Amino acid sequence: MSAHVLFLQGEAPAGGLNLGRFVADFWPILVPVVLGLAALYLLLPRAFRYPPLWGGLLGGLALVVAGWWLVHFEVISAEVILFYAFAFLAVGAAGMMVTQSNPVYAALFFAQVVLSTCGLFLLLAAPFLMAATVIIYAGAIVVTFLFVIMLAQQLGPSSADQRSREPFLSALAGFVLLAAVLCVLQRTYQDPTHQAVAQQLQGFLEQTRKARDAKTVAEMGELVGDRESFVNPFLELVQKDSLFAGLAQEKRKAIQKRLYQVEETWSTRFSKPADKRVAMAAHLDEIYRDGQLIHAQLTTAGVLTPDPKLPLSRFSGGSPQGQPRDAHSRPQLPAENVAGLGRALFTDYLLAVELAGFLLTVATIGAIAIAARRTEELR
Amino acid sequence: MTAVALENYLIVGAILFALGAVGFLARRNLIIMFLSAEMMLQGVAINLVAFARYHGNLQGQVFTLFIITVAACEAAVALALILMLYRARKSLDVSLWQELREADQEPTVDEEPLPPAPPPEKWPTLTPAGPAPSGQHDEGSHV
Repeated sequence: MSAHVLFLQGEAPAGGLNLGRFVADFWPILVPVVLGLAALYLLLPRAFRYPPLWGGLLGGLALVVAGWWLVHFEVISAEVILFYAFAFLAVGAAGMMVTQSNPVYAALFFAQVVLSTCGLFLLLAAPFLMAATVIIYAGAIVVTFLFVIMLAQQLGPSSADQRSREPFLSALAGFVLLAAVLCVLQRTYQDPTHQAVAQQLQGFLEQTRKARDAKTVAEMGELVGDRESFVNPFLELVQKDSLFAGLAQEKRKAIQKRLYQVEETWSTRFSKPADKRVAMAAHLDEIYRDGQLIHAQLTTAGVLTPDPKLPLSRFSGGSPQGQPRDAHSRPQLPAENVAGLGRALFTDYLLAVELAGFLLTVATIGAIAIAARRTEELR
Repeated sequence: MTAVALENYLIVGAILFALGAVGFLARRNLIIMFLSAEMMLQGVAINLVAFARYHGNLQGQVFTLFIITVAACEAAVALALILMLYRARKSLDVSLWQELREADQEPTVDEEPLPPAPPPEKWPTLTPAGPAPSGQHDEGSHV
């Protein structure tokens, strides 16, 4: 089983909530979120509207700042550019949909959100889902919504479209939720403490590797023999529970135990120095291997490189030819998406498929029963 | 690494979800409230597909397919209900149904009046050419 970690848990702030530290840690998130909140508050429909230019400018600024500070990538590639395009289209259309006072335009902006989401699905190697979403949402649901809007269209301003319910409080609620989610994501994937710990660990591991490969006991002693410079700080680093929450605990315990043994072996008197070197090297090798694993977990959280032998479907397995994988051993585009989905649906999830079909039938009958116009005689 | 990292997709999903939540809370048109709820589902679907991609299997995509199915059912039933509500009140304003609130809640009252409806647009017309007909034509005369 691969030892990859999806989420790292950051260090809990010491001494309760410290607002200053919170702002200092998360200002790249708080600035676009506050800008977006202000934009949405100004743009939400109300009886006396603010000029839409202010809100539009603030919203555009929030989008640009969020794209600049929140989205991280290393190389500009076609995938990154497409991701930016679809993400901006989706988020921009979502903002327009929420603030649009004409429900017909809102439905059209919803269609744009769906289409941009489909672009993101394509980037995520899900062409079948893209097609299904286009057909179901953009085809059926939006047309139905337009139908209802035509039925219910009113002349002149109506309080349903021209007013909002508590625009400030509801925008605040939504953006507090957004800020919380973004802060957790940042603490998981871009926590500076984790990066610092990974660097420190890397330093110790380098020292361990050099000592393991040392030719003489004296050379080894120079590197790891001093208790104050190697064993104690390494132990201190590994023993901090808060830094390694969610990582391989048994590896961490094993490193601690080995470190004690290193110290013990070093202070023991051996009859032959070569024996001492061999015994030390065995311990150091174990430490190095476990440490490498923890280091990999710290640096690759969220960047999964899945087990290439993991079958796409539990019961039917993968395709007979085996699945093409990219350099990160993720399934390659288009990854036999339709065949794989079909296999998974009709082996692993057969019961769920049947239930979904049943649910569709029940919903159709229910909708007809609710919406059928009953004449007076029938009542 | 050239690929877009997982967290970026999670951020887009979170933003769509939050905007949908704001729309559902703030808007009063039943149809727009429903569209906002659908948009929250879209945000969740992006998360699931991104996780499926980064785990390298199809469970997230299958889950998203079921989300689409349930969303279609939900749309059918909700549209039928919206139609019923519209027939009862002749409006899509959800605040007209505020008698369903809890007993100890104050009713919301709209204080500011709505802006007056814009005056009907004047479409351009052709200028009448020549003298107006007198209206007293002699049927027999062709002069």
